[in-house]
This record gives sequence, C-alpha cells and structure tokens, in this order.
Amino acid sequence: MESGDGSILESIGSEIIGVMSPVSICMLLVVLLVYSLTTTSSSTYSAVRTAANLVYLESPADTPTEKLEGALLNALVFVILIALVTFLLVLLYYYRCTNFLKHYTRFSAFFVLSFMGGPIFLTIIQHFNIPVDSITCFILLVNFSILGVLSVFSNGVPILIRQSYMVALGIIVAAWFTRLPEWTTWVLLVALALYDLVAVLAPGGPLKILVELASTREEDLPALVYEARPTTGTNVSGSQGRSSLAGLLVAGMSQNGGGDGSNDRGVELQAVPSSSRTNNGNYWNEGASKRGHLVIHMDNEEEEEEVEVVRDDQEETSPLMARNSRERLGSPVMSGTSNNGNRQMNEIPIVEITRPDRERDGDEMIEAMNGRGIKLGLGDFVFYSVLVGRAAMYDLMTVYACYLAIISGLGCTLILLAVCRHALPALPISIALGVMFYFLTRLLMEPFVVGTSANLMMF
Amino acid sequence: MTVAAGIGYALLALGPSLSLFVAVISHKPFLILTVLSSTLVWLMSLIVLAGLWRAFLPIKTTSSAWLPYSILLLTSVVFQEGLRLLFWRVYKKLEDILDGFADRVSKPRLFLTDKMQIALAGGLGHGVAHAVFFCLSLLTPAFGPATFYVEKCSQMPFFLVSSIIALAFVTIHTFSMVIAFNGYAEGNRVDQLIVPVVHLIAGMLTLVNLVSGGCIIGIPLLYCMAVFTLLHCGKMVWKRLMETRNRQGNL
Repeated sequence: MESGDGSILESIGSEIIGVMSPVSICMLLVVLLVYSLTTTSSSTYSAVRTAANLVYLESPADTPTEKLEGALLNALVFVILIALVTFLLVLLYYYRCTNFLKHYTRFSAFFVLSFMGGPIFLTIIQHFNIPVDSITCFILLVNFSILGVLSVFSNGVPILIRQSYMVALGIIVAAWFTRLPEWTTWVLLVALALYDLVAVLAPGGPLKILVELASTREEDLPALVYEARPTTGTNVSGSQGRSSLAGLLVAGMSQNGGGDGSNDRGVELQAVPSSSRTNNGNYWNEGASKRGHLVIHMDNEEEEEEVEVVRDDQEETSPLMARNSRERLGSPVMSGTSNNGNRQMNEIPIVEITRPDRERDGDEMIEAMNGRGIKLGLGDFVFYSVLVGRAAMYDLMTVYACYLAIISGLGCTLILLAVCRHALPALPISIALGVMFYFLTRLLMEPFVVGTSANLMMF
Repeated sequence: MTVAAGIGYALLALGPSLSLFVAVISHKPFLILTVLSSTLVWLMSLIVLAGLWRAFLPIKTTSSAWLPYSILLLTSVVFQEGLRLLFWRVYKKLEDILDGFADRVSKPRLFLTDKMQIALAGGLGHGVAHAVFFCLSLLTPAFGPATFYVEKCSQMPFFLVSSIIALAFVTIHTFSMVIAFNGYAEGNRVDQLIVPVVHLIAGMLTLVNLVSGGCIIGIPLLYCMAVFTLLHCGKMVWKRLMETRNRQGNL
C-alpha cells in the first residue's frame, strides 16, 4: 500500500540524503582511521609542521593563553594564505589560464593521493600487519593515484568512481589535518568557517566571483566538487522504475542530441577547450596547506524539459545510498545539456524538492522541472571530517554529538539554499553547531550521562 | 575484552533498531531525515537536562542516593514527555505541508501507514539516541582487552547490563512514539496517558539497580514494560489498520 503506490515519502528529500550519505561515509571513515591509528602511535604524530601551524608549534606544556595566541596566529596566517591563493586562482581563471590550472590541479590531486595517502596506507599496513611487499604496495599506490587523477578530470570515468575519489581525497586530507594540535584545530575551524562566510557571501569574495564567473561562462564550476547528481543506470530500489517513460526519454534525448550523450558532452568540451572541466585547484594548494572549496553550489537548469524529466525520474529512484547506484549512463546527457542551459539558481523550498512519480504522471514531471545537482565542495568534506576526527580523540559521545550537529547544519544549509537561491557557504552553520555541541557535550553532558549510566540509571 | 565483544554489545543494544532501519526507513529519504532530526531533538533535550543538573552532580552513591536520583529521573521524563508534545505539534504542521504538496503534484496524500512510519521513525530516532548516548558512548573500553563490573550488579559485565537495558529502552522509545502520535491524532486519552506512564515506570525501575544485586529483578521488570509497550502498539496498529481496511471495503 505505502510502497508500491508512490507515496510522497519516498521522493522527498532524496537530494539531501544524496549529499548527506557521502559526507557521513567520509566522516565515518575518518573517525575509524583516527580511532584505530591514534591509540597506538599517537606520539609519532606530534609536531607536524604544515602551513596550518607555520607560526606557532603547540606543545602540551604551554599555558592556555600562549596556546590561544599561537592558535589564533596560526589560523590567521593560514586563512591569509588561503585567501591569497584563492585570489590568484580566481585571477588565473578570469584570464582563462585554464591549462595551467588544469595541470596544477592534476599535480595537486596526484600529490594528495600518492604522497599524502601513501603514509596513511603505510600506517594502516603496519598497524594491521597486512602482509604486502613494498613493490606490490608501490604499484598499487601508483595505480590508485593515477586512476584518481584521471577520474578527477576526465569525463570517461564512471561517476561512482569520481565520487569515491572525491571522498577518498577528503578522507586523506582530513586525516592529515587531524594531526594538528588541538587548539590550533579548533581555532582554525572557526576561522575557516568565518572565511568561508566572507568568501562566498561578501561582494568581491573570491569564491563568489568564481561561482559567478563560472555561471556567466556557462561552465561547470571549475573545482574539486562532489556532485550529487543523479544518474540513470542500476538503481537500488527501482529496477522497475527504469520505466518505459524514462527509457523513452533517454532514447529521445540521444536522438535529438545528436547521438550519444557522451558524444554530446565531448563536443561541448571541445568547443570550450579545457575550461569546462578545469578543476582549477582552487581547493588545493600545494601539499601541506591544502584546503577546500568551501562552496555549496546548486545549479538548476530550467531550459530543457526532457532532460529534467529524465533527471527527476532518476533522482527519485536513487534513494539513500544513491552513490552506489550512480552510473555513467545518464550523466553525460545531463551535463552536456547543462552546459547549454543557463545556470539559473532558482530553487524551491526544500520540502518541495520532489520528483514526481516514476512512470505514471509524465505531464507532472514535465511541469515540475526541479531537477538539480547539489554540489558540495571537497573542503566541506575535509573540515567536517576534521571536526569529527578531532572529536573522536576525546570520546565517542562527542563524536555522535558532533556528527548530528554537522549533519543538521548541513540540512539547514540545504534548506537555506532552497530559499536563497544562490551559492552558499556550507561550513559556517555546521562548524558553529559542531563546535558548540562538542563543548556542550564535553562540559555538560558527559558528567551527567556518565554519572547516571554508570549507576545503571536510564530514562 | 576484544573488538568482537564490543561489537557484540553494540549490536545487542542497536541490532533491532538497525534491522528496523534497513527494512523500513532506509528506502525513504524523508524517514531518514525524520530519524536524524528526532535524534537531534533528543540530544538537545539531554544537553538541556545535563545543564540543569550540572550543579548537583555527581551524586554520591550512598544509601540515600535513591532520592536525588528519582528526582532526576522524574524531571528528565517530564521534560522529555513535554518535548514529545512539541514534536507532535511540529509533526502536525509538517503533515499539512506534505499533504498540500502531495495535492500539488497530484499524488495521493499521506496514507495511514505513512503517518505511522513517520511516527516510527521519530521514535526510532529517540531510541537510537538513547542507546547511543547511554550505552554506546560508554562502550569504548569494551573494545579493549578487559571488561568492567560494577559493584551493585556483579553477575554480569557492566557493558552487558547497560546494553540489555538500552535495548529495553530503545523498544519503549520507538514504539511509544507510535502509540503517542496515534493517541494525539485520535484524541484517545488512554493512549496519550499510557506513554508518559510507561516511560516513567521504566525510568523508575532502573532505580532498583541501586540496590546491590537489584539488576536481577530490575531488568526482567523493565522488559515487562518493553513487552507491554510492544504489545499495546501492535494491538493498536492492527486495530487501526483493520478499521481503515473495513472503511475502504465499505466504500
């Protein structure tokens, strides 16, 4: 009764889940990593000097004021660095130095995957005593990195792989960030959230310029962003939902669009050489001082009814673990056309984000053209995970509290996104809630909960 | 003990909720969001309560400790039941929005089962939050190479006791939300009252654990409450489903 016949519960909110599930996976893996690795070898991790603690190296013996001052200085320097590099990259993008940006980002992705991921893999191998010889390990690592670099840039890679690599990049960078000392981490997170707020919302903010530039050029946002865009293909729940209508529309699109969707897109790419997929390393500066793209960006193309219909349908049929069901098939069609369509940031309230029913009411589908791909910057992945990873070093309770706070902050941001209709920073609300809940949990809740439940009192 | 023991304790407390989540909730994004938000609500209620009680903690476990603990439990239960009313108000608004939206896209309005599933998701959120914060967050040492016994309940490891109790509370929380929402919707006084009463009795039953060896008696009584909640919920849902089916049949 409730499942077969299209109750609206199934359709509402699948975009939100589509963004939340990769974020959750990223956070979970970082927590597991932190949890399993820091218990054994916490001493070796201390005193890593990166761009995030250039000025002051925290030592446990310092007084709180010294720590606070040092942490503030660190955060200030780091944010200034980020701002400078972001402006530089925006400048490069403005003057269409896209080739340079492309190679630069390629390099930094490779660097992150191999030189930063490598030590983490080594630690895992050592910790769990995995019997791997060095040559095999090296070959695997190189393959992993190369595939990662390819998946970040090219369009021929299944979107599931690209999304997995986005999550992997987030995990690696976040795992490195968790090695920062405690005070620096907290101050840095707050400072980044504030910077994010300014950079995306203030007039003249670098990320705002970037997003506007990308949308006036009708290109994809040139960045390492996680695209939660829906695709066709094997759906978790809806194999029957790959209905005649959707199949028809996909077929129709490929006829109209001059062949296959991927060809379509390829043409787009050649027409706008090397800039539509530039992924200019806005989000990654070199090596140690990596940072993230702090924009949540939602685009909504209203022009193409048919594509939207396809998209609607697909989105609906990819529920919770939508990542698993992503396949390449649909996305070329969509991105190909999304390059044609103006990127109009218009959204409707989040409650209304719904895809009409699968096969029955096609007219409705065409009317409700609300298909969209929510894009979440990789930096958001990184810093959410850093917060949770830092919380994991204290206790599990703080982890749960921070996770809930961050996820609800992300939900609030998405709702705001539906109201505001332009790119929004995803960090401020989540980080504010996360930091607040961390300290509330640590200071207030823990004595209460431990005190009651250690006496087996519950309610 | 080891990782296996830790995972075992965690699954003991949360296994049924996990299977409920996979079977019912996970297909429907909206229900997942409901679970998350209800978990957050519960967490916030816990933080508020902790803030209120922060000044009086820790309570010394002397022979007369049951008095402050019973006051603590009483305030907590009253506060959370008040919150349940608030949750109901919000849900009522949400239901109207959803129905309005369903009309707009010319899809069927919320079915009775949909409403019950939302209530179940809300209850599951409360229950999971309870298990996570009262049981799972103390479980960290259980993954290590030792175990821990409390003096008052020396028959079983502390982690085992707490996950057994948490399981009972997860059941009570999950299904009492269904009962409560149904009671509010129908205006049924008995259902409205039975929920706080069950919650309060269950909370008070944990006071038995203060007595040495009390958990041997307290836990079976607690499980009686859990089974009672489950049976009542099942009976009520069955009745309502039959009613609607008959009504549809008559049409």
